[in-house]
Formats: sequence, structure tokens, C-alpha cells
Amino acid sequence: MATQLVTLLTTLLSHYRRHPGQLAMLLLGLWVASALWSGVQAINASAKESYARAEALFTTGLDRLERLDGKPLTRDDFLTLRRQGVPVSPLLEGELTASDGTRLTLIGIDPLTLPGDSAFATAGSTQELTGFLAPPWQTRLAPDTLPALGLDAEAARGASPRLAAGRLPPLTLAPALPPQTLVMDIAAAAALLDAGERISRLVTAPGALAEAPPGLALTRATTLVSPGQLTQSFHLNLTALALLALIVGLFIVQAALGLALEQRLAMLRTLRAIGVSGRALVAGLALELVLLGSIGALAGIAGGVWLARALLPDVAATLGSLYGAGVGVELRLPWHYWVGGLAVTLGGLLLAGAGVLWRAARLSVLDLGRAQAWRSGYQRQLGRMSLAGAAVAALGLALWAWLSRQPAGEGLAAGFVLMAALLLVGALWLPPLLAAALAGLGRLARRRPLAQWALADLELQLPRLSLALMALLIALSASLGVNSMVGGFRLTFLDWLDQRLVADLYLDPPAERFAAVHTWLGERPEVAELMVTRHGESTLLAVDAAGASRPLARPVSLFGLTPGERLTPTWPLLETDAGREEAWRALGEGGAFINEQLAVAEGIAPGDRLTLATPGGGEALAVAAIYPDYGNPRGEVLMAATELGRRFSAPPDSIGIVLAPGADGEALGAALGSEFALGRDALRDQGEVKRIATGIFERTFTITRALNALTLAVAALALLASLLAQARERRRRLAPMWALGVPRGRLLGVQLAQLGGAALAVGLVAVPLGIAITWGLVAVINVAAFGWRLPLHLFPGEIALTLGTAVAVALAAAALPALRLWRTPPRALLAEETG
Amino acid sequence: MMPRVIKHAVPLRALLPAALLGAFVALAGCDETPPERSGAGFAGLGESTAGFVQAGPDTTLSFPEDHGAHPDYRIEWWYLTANLKDEQGEPLGLQWTLFRQALLSSETTPPEERPEPTPWAADQLWMAHMAVSRGAQHGVAERFARSHSAAPSQQTDGQAGAVASPFRAWLDDWVLESEVTEPGADTFERLTLTAFEGDGEGKARLGYQLTLTAEGPLVLHGRDGFSQKAADGQGSHYYSQPFWRIEGEVTLAGETHTVSGRGWLDREWSSQLLSPDQAGWDWFSLHLDDGRRLMAFRLRGGGDDGGDYRSGSWIAPDGTTRPLASQELTMAPLATSPVAGREVPTRWRLEVPGENLDMIVEAPHAERWMDTTVPYWEGEVVARDHDGGERLGVGYLEMTGY
Repeated sequence: MATQLVTLLTTLLSHYRRHPGQLAMLLLGLWVASALWSGVQAINASAKESYARAEALFTTGLDRLERLDGKPLTRDDFLTLRRQGVPVSPLLEGELTASDGTRLTLIGIDPLTLPGDSAFATAGSTQELTGFLAPPWQTRLAPDTLPALGLDAEAARGASPRLAAGRLPPLTLAPALPPQTLVMDIAAAAALLDAGERISRLVTAPGALAEAPPGLALTRATTLVSPGQLTQSFHLNLTALALLALIVGLFIVQAALGLALEQRLAMLRTLRAIGVSGRALVAGLALELVLLGSIGALAGIAGGVWLARALLPDVAATLGSLYGAGVGVELRLPWHYWVGGLAVTLGGLLLAGAGVLWRAARLSVLDLGRAQAWRSGYQRQLGRMSLAGAAVAALGLALWAWLSRQPAGEGLAAGFVLMAALLLVGALWLPPLLAAALAGLGRLARRRPLAQWALADLELQLPRLSLALMALLIALSASLGVNSMVGGFRLTFLDWLDQRLVADLYLDPPAERFAAVHTWLGERPEVAELMVTRHGESTLLAVDAAGASRPLARPVSLFGLTPGERLTPTWPLLETDAGREEAWRALGEGGAFINEQLAVAEGIAPGDRLTLATPGGGEALAVAAIYPDYGNPRGEVLMAATELGRRFSAPPDSIGIVLAPGADGEALGAALGSEFALGRDALRDQGEVKRIATGIFERTFTITRALNALTLAVAALALLASLLAQARERRRRLAPMWALGVPRGRLLGVQLAQLGGAALAVGLVAVPLGIAITWGLVAVINVAAFGWRLPLHLFPGEIALTLGTAVAVALAAAALPALRLWRTPPRALLAEETG
Repeated sequence: MMPRVIKHAVPLRALLPAALLGAFVALAGCDETPPERSGAGFAGLGESTAGFVQAGPDTTLSFPEDHGAHPDYRIEWWYLTANLKDEQGEPLGLQWTLFRQALLSSETTPPEERPEPTPWAADQLWMAHMAVSRGAQHGVAERFARSHSAAPSQQTDGQAGAVASPFRAWLDDWVLESEVTEPGADTFERLTLTAFEGDGEGKARLGYQLTLTAEGPLVLHGRDGFSQKAADGQGSHYYSQPFWRIEGEVTLAGETHTVSGRGWLDREWSSQLLSPDQAGWDWFSLHLDDGRRLMAFRLRGGGDDGGDYRSGSWIAPDGTTRPLASQELTMAPLATSPVAGREVPTRWRLEVPGENLDMIVEAPHAERWMDTTVPYWEGEVVARDHDGGERLGVGYLEMTGY
């Protein structure tokens, strides 16, 4: 039995020896599909691992204490509290810049007082504490932080790299630490950061304190949002894109497999005729699938890892700047990643190959299978496709109806299903649509025999090409949809930046000198207006709307600004209770604005009242307006800076400086620098802030664009695969035309026109589909994933580009078979026909 | 009293214990004896080992100075045990210990190469243990701190420290300090001890607030306060105040008891206490009902011919002390109890033939395991006559290295 199966398999596989191109195409399809999928999965897995490390770090999971007046805590505060029996531990946090410009987070701890098992225990090795506590101290860091220091694991042990701030204590590797994080004893950290007696905050075991000691603000660990939660939507979006690439890749596989079966039908019949049972035949084909699938999947995973490695730095930068989540730029893959990658690829392959197996199982020994017979079968298939498309469309409509009745911001997964349904309907309806169009055009071209032949011939090709064209349609519309969304977002975002960034200079003074800097600036003639901001954290305890109170426990950030002359006219607002001016007046009198994210997530409208937790209990605020807050992953409550300071004891954060007309910002900066010896990063001008923000934005969509382009490339490959597959047969059909006197050049032109026309038709279908996808992205997915709704922008350039891409892809794919045909001597065409 | 040192550790709970353990094990003599310095500049410091002052018989103790910390020695402790009774006459035991350990990066870094006293830099590591036991209950807490011996403010204002006069030894809000403030008076005459762990009125609340009154003189062990710990001459400076009368309140499992009874405070410091081949020890402090006191210990290993090394002090009610040499003392475990996954001897025969003393010393409750970073057994014991069985006194037993 086993040898029989081996013989059968060898026979089946011998086909690929004669058609290595087909094998290559099959493997290529598998490789590309699974590479994109596993690449994104690798990125997700790596990021998750980074989050897990960040959450295991002592800075999370501990309650924190900070001074109410925003001044830094010192060693004396620590000692005083300890001697009162309050179990606090000092933490010093700062940033160091590595020689390659990477910013490293430096955390100084006192392991002797750091609460329990939270922290050091999990991050540490069994190295002696003495080495950690005493000179020359130790720098603990994860291996994936080493590249930033220009070291490899070999050179790292005990190395003491020099940074701008000074020499680091000898390195000790601690893989459990988050990336780009250095942990050392607080004494060593204080020296490197030149912090003196200052500490960043005091931490204590969660729940250890019933209330904050006098003069301090207690932030519970539970109100701090973890990076894993924040970035969930981002990763879901990536996964959706990868899934799209996988599906498009599987189209290639499906096409290649179908072809391989088609061409082996004679062989299969012979095999059946000489006594191989139908079951054995299916088993043999399935074995072949698994074999090819394994090779493709392994190659795909290798490719995916490579791809992930290439994309990860951008993803990490994005996640860092958007969410403040540190993600390592080196891949860290758990075992289930490898197993999962294999399983998904093999599963996809079996799904794609199911049709082939099914057809092989029903193979009739005597069926002579000619193109015409196939054609009538195809007509039935078209009917089924139309029906299936209608069913999916009905499902999509039902889903849309359901979604529209959900509160905004719900149903991210349902949104993705809706997008998928849209694409599927488009893909399923494409072949019937094309067939109908061809039939109609054929009737129109009755007077032009060559055109009529070309149309009829294309109709005959359609069964083979339809899958590839469907893949192209999906890739094109997804690309159009995503690019329009990104482009629209870009316009909105830049506009929003312009409206929000109204000060000329932004200053980040150290907390202890804030008052002095503020006073000094207030007396300068160059300064027209100072806009102080404050920041705080709180928990939204309740929302009162229409007389009903809804209890909540949602962590929110608090943002305080100075509503001055320069700011209020332009600051963007989405919705107000009673007009812009009234809203600003309400804000000045103790009202609040909330960002769109919060409004969407909790269903809050202007006029509702919020109850926010304060150190002393709760504060009630009326919502006067909702403002857009792109790029902020969290819910935010905005109020006047003075109110925020008074009611929530929030420390001052930065100062926006509006210059008097004609004043020299640089001179002011220089004077400020010499007066207060502020760091170089403390003062930024508006242009720089915009540049940074725009840079972050562009980086955010780098990966989206890269995945899109790759998906499109996969679709082009699918088309190429299909064309190559039928090239031989095509030649046989072209020969009579040549024999009838149609010159070769003309024949080639016809061929290119056939394909270009088909692709153009696909492109034309892709445009409305792409617009629908854009709508879905801005109105459903973005709202659910990030909490903001964007206006629907359409870009004629993008649409033209989509059509152009469709035709270019088709022509590029057709070029190779056409070239081959061109090179074939006419004699050979005839020879094949007779042979 | 004995160093709280253990050679072979139980499984480590975290890095912190591991590291501390390393530090304390190093002290216990697990490490090789550092070579004597032979450079010309150091020739005069014959007692200096790796830059630390080595405890020896020629140093005369002086008070109140020696109540305070000795940062030039590697390790030091202030160790109080007490046998008390609550208002119902129920026996209750407690322990409070402050350990100091010179924190230098390697055994060869001498004190003169201590780090600059920059903010947070430390050359001393402090560890405090508290335990309260009553019947089967046994509550334990521990804390850690750092300090720098060259930072003047930290000597009185640090997170932990010990100053001689007026005497004060503390870590956080755990404080043992003198109530005697007049200059010239004996700072060790009257002390208060306050230590609590766990907040409010919770079940986990543990601690005490006690007044200690000295009812006898200080006792110097060994040769004028130099207590030899091995046949090769290793040892420590060691004195005790075994005559405390204690009154106050003790909280265990959230319940507060008014207590009174007797206490024993040990002071010991050294740079290298034990020989490398000593695995642990068994140490007794006994208050006999007739007013006499007995301190006796057995170091397992390090004696002549590799046997045990025994030593002790026989203390008369007036404080007159007679050192007991190895051969003047027998200590034999009679029975063990399973505690924390170990077999720990909780029934002993103690003989001092020269004093006609033959006792059975037994722990009424075996569950006195100190599940601290450096784990050990420490608990109350009752001494009875070996033949007649009548009660002779109470005390404390400490056992390490099991």
C-alpha cells in the first residue's frame, strides 16, 4: 500500500518535472501568501512580547506617588515617609541618548525597598545584589537593547559603554526587561542623570496605601492603561491587512493548482483506468498538497521573518510615538508563532486545494473534457457565483444594518467582516459581470470579425483568468480604499495640526523652575501671550445625561490649556452645546471639553455632566464641546489650565509662547537658555513640532503602504501565473488565426488588448468598491479602532492610479507570454496544432 | 550571640534574597580567607584583612561608643529576644534584629575604596527582622535599607543606622532607642522598642511597643568581649545585656496583648566570623529561674580535629561571667521536628558539669521557622532538669544551616 502510494505520488509529481514553471508558480504563491501573513504575525507576536515585558516591569503594576504641586520629590521625602512607616520606594526615571541616537529609558531603583515580587525578582538574574548595589554597579538590559549601544551579545558582558551622559555601569543581560530600557541602582542612575537628590516618583505595592500621604497625589496602578490594551486596535488592523494578503496569495495557489489538475486530467484518467482507486488518487493528491504546502509554508515563514525584520523598526517607532509603547526592533518569536504560521498556510492551501480534490474525486474516466463542455459548465458556475455573491451581499447588508444600530465605536470585528463581505461580493460578482459585458460587446462587434473573435476568445479564457482577476480586484480596491483613507487622514490631520498649534514656541521647563520661567517670560517684551498647559490623570466615575447617571470607572487623562485670544478662534471643535463662543466661555468658567475618542467610547454628548475622581473625592464638570484629537489613544478631558490646577492639583506641563509681532524667537530662546540653563530639547518652535508630528504620522502608515504594495504585487503574480499557465494552449488557438492571415504583431496586439481591456474593466469595478472600502474604514473601522471619525475624501489621482495600475499590472503580466509567442516561429504554431 | 548566617540556602525566592544570601554567606566564611596584606604601608595593620578591621582579643571594648555601628567591620548586629507573658499568663516570644553588612562590590574592595557619598550611593546594607510568636502562631517581617558611612547626615537621619549615644538603632520606623537623655548617664539603662508591620487594624498587623529596663550590667563574652568562633582563632566582638525587664504591648494577627517578661540583647561585630568549614550553629540564651543566665553555642565544624566548636558564658545574677570552653560544655540534640521541609532539632540535652547543670531544653512549639531572606529557626525554649524534670527556666534557641 505504502509503495503504491509512493509510486502514485511520484507519478503525480512527474508532471512538475515537465512543467517546472508551474511548480515554481505554486511555490511562489504559497511563499508570498504565507510570507506576508507570517511577517505580520511575527510583528504582532514580537510586539506582544515587548508589552508583556513592559507590563512585568516594576514601573507598571505599582501605585505611584507624586507631589501635588508638581515639584520633584527628593530623597528627603523618601526618608521622611519611610521613617513614618509608609512603605514607599524611590524610582528615578530619565532618558539617555545612545551614540546612534536611540533614546533609552533609564530606570534607577532601590531594590531594597522596591515592593515584593513585582519587579526585580522577575527582571533579575541570580547575580548578587551586592554587585547591583555597590560600585561599579550594573546596567541591566535586554539583549535587544544592545544594538542601540553598538554591541553584540558577545561583547556586551561586562562592557561599560560610554554615552554622552557618562560611562554606563558594566552591562548584565536581563532578557525579561523591556527593550530600550536600562535598569540600574538608583545611585548609579542619579549620577548618570545628574539628578542629585531628586527622584521621579515614589512607588508602593498596589493597594498598600489607603490614601495619599499629605501633599502627595496617589495614582493607583489600576488607572494606568497598559500598552497592550492601547495598541490592540493597531494590531488588529495589521492582522486584517495580512489576512488580505494571505487570501490574495491563496488565489494564486488556487489558480496554479487548478491548472496543474487540468493538465493532468489525462494522466489521472489513465491512472484510474489502470486500477488506481478514486480514494487512492485523492489521497495521493492530498499528500502532494501537504508536501508542497509544507515547503511553501516553511519558505513563507522564513520570508515572513525577513519581512518582519525589515518592517519592525518602523512599527516599533510608530507604536513608540503613538502609544508610548516600547517595542523591540529585534524579533522575539514564541514557539506557537512557528506552529501557527505552518498551520495557517497549510490550512489555506487545503482550502484552496479542496476544489481540486473534489474534482479529482468525481473524475469520470470516460469524460473527454473539451473547452466547449467546460464552457457550459462555466456558465453554471457563473450562475452559482452570482447567487453566492447575492447571499454575501445580503449578509453584508444585514451586518451593516446591525452595525448602524450599535453605539459608535463598537464592533471593530464586525466592521472587518463587513469589509471582507464587500470585497467578497465584488470578487464573486466580477466574473458574471465580465461574462455579461463580453457577451454584450460581442453582439456590438458583430461587424468586426477580429474584435468579435477576440471577445469570444476572452470569454473562453475567462474561466482560467477569473480567479486571478478576482484577486486583482480585491488587491486594487483594498489599495484604493486604504490609500484614500490614509490620504484623507493626512489632509485632516495636517489641517488639525495647523489649527491646534497656534503658539510660536513651545517650552518644556523643568517643574521646579516653572514658576520662575513663567514670571521671567511674562516680563519680556517679545512675548504677546503665554499659554500654560497642565496634565493630570484621573478616573471618570460617572456620566449624567438627561437626568440619568451612569457609573463608570474609566481612566482618562486630563489636559489643561489657557484659552487665550490666539487659541480660541482656531482650536478645532467638532460639536458644541451652544456654539463655539459659548463653549469657550463655559470652559473659562469651569466647564470641560472632551475628545472625540472619549465621546465615542462612552456615548457622551455636549451638555452631559461628568464626575471625575480627585485626590479629595469627586469633581463634577459639564461637557461644553467635543474636539478632535487624532493620534491620541486615550480618552481626554480638557479644561482651563487654572481650573485643572485648582481642582485636580495637576502640575504645570509646558508653556506655549505667542510672540509679539516682529519679535525674534531665536533671540528669546537664547536669552531663556542663558538665564535658566535649559536643555536643548526644552524649547521647540511650531515648525519643529509640526515636523515631528507629521513624521510620526508618515511613519504610522509606512507599514500600511508597504503591505498594500506587496498585496498588489501578489495579485499581479496571480495574473502572471494564470497567463503563463494557459500560454501553451493559447498558442494552439492563435495558430489558426495566424494561418488565416492575421499577422503576428496584430495577434499580439489583440492579446494585449484583451487583457488590458479585462484589467480596465476590473479597475472600473475596483473604483466604486474601493470607495466603499474607504467609507468603511473612515466611518466604521477607524471609529471603532481609534475613536475618531474622518471626513470621506476622494482623490481623483488615486482613482486614476488604480485604473492605471490595473492595466499596467495586466500588461506586465501579459508581456512575458506575449514575448514568448513573438519568439515562437509560426511553423511551431502549426506544428503544435497538427501534433 | 551568633551570626545569622547560613551556608547552604533553601530555594531562593527572588534575586534580592539570593544576593543578600550571597553577601551573608561570604561573611560566614564560605569564601576563602583573604590574603594578609604585606605591603609596607600596611605592615602595621596586622589585623587588617582585605581592608577590614579583624576582630581580635587585643581590642578593648568601650562604652557607650561600642553600642553604635562599626563600619570598619564587615558585619554587625543588634539582636533582641524576649520571653514574655500576656495578661492571661500565656507565654509569648519575640525577636527584633538589626543587621548591618558592609556593602562592597567584591571581597577585595577595602573600606578606603568606598564609593563617594553621592546621593543614594551606599557602603552599608541594613536588614531588620521582627518576629512575634504565641502558641502555634508565628508572625515574621523583614525590611532592608542602605546607608553610606561617610555621609554625615545619614548617621542620624538615614533610612537605617545605629548611633552610640544617646543610643538609637533603627530601620524605617522600627526603632530601638534609649530613653536616657542626660549626658554621662548610661544610655543602655532604659530603651524603648517600636516596630509594626502591616497597616491599620488588619489581620496581618504585627508588631510591638516595649519598654526595656536593664536590671544588671553588660556581659562581655569570651576574653573581655572577644568571642572565639573556631579553633583557628576566628571570632567576633560580642557582648550582651541579658538582664532586661520588658513591659509593653504586642500585636499579633491584629490582636494586641499587654505583656511583661525578660529580654536578652546581643551585640556582635566581626569581619570574618567563621571558618570556611563551619556549616551552621545552634545557639542558646537561657534565663534560669534562680536569676542565673547561660549563653551556649555550638558551631558545627571548625573545632579541633574538624569536630564541633563549643563555647559559652555562665552568668551569675550579679553579672559575673565565666567563659565556658569547649570541653566544659556538652550539647546534644535528642529529637528533631519537621519544620519547613527540614528536620530541625527541637529537643536538646545541655550539660555544664562544672556548674552541676544537666538540662533538657525543648521548644514547646516547633513552628518557629524564620521564612526570611536568610532563613533560620528561632524560637522560645523551656529548660527542665534532666533527672527530676522540674522547670529551670526559659530562653531562646537559634539554629542555622538546617
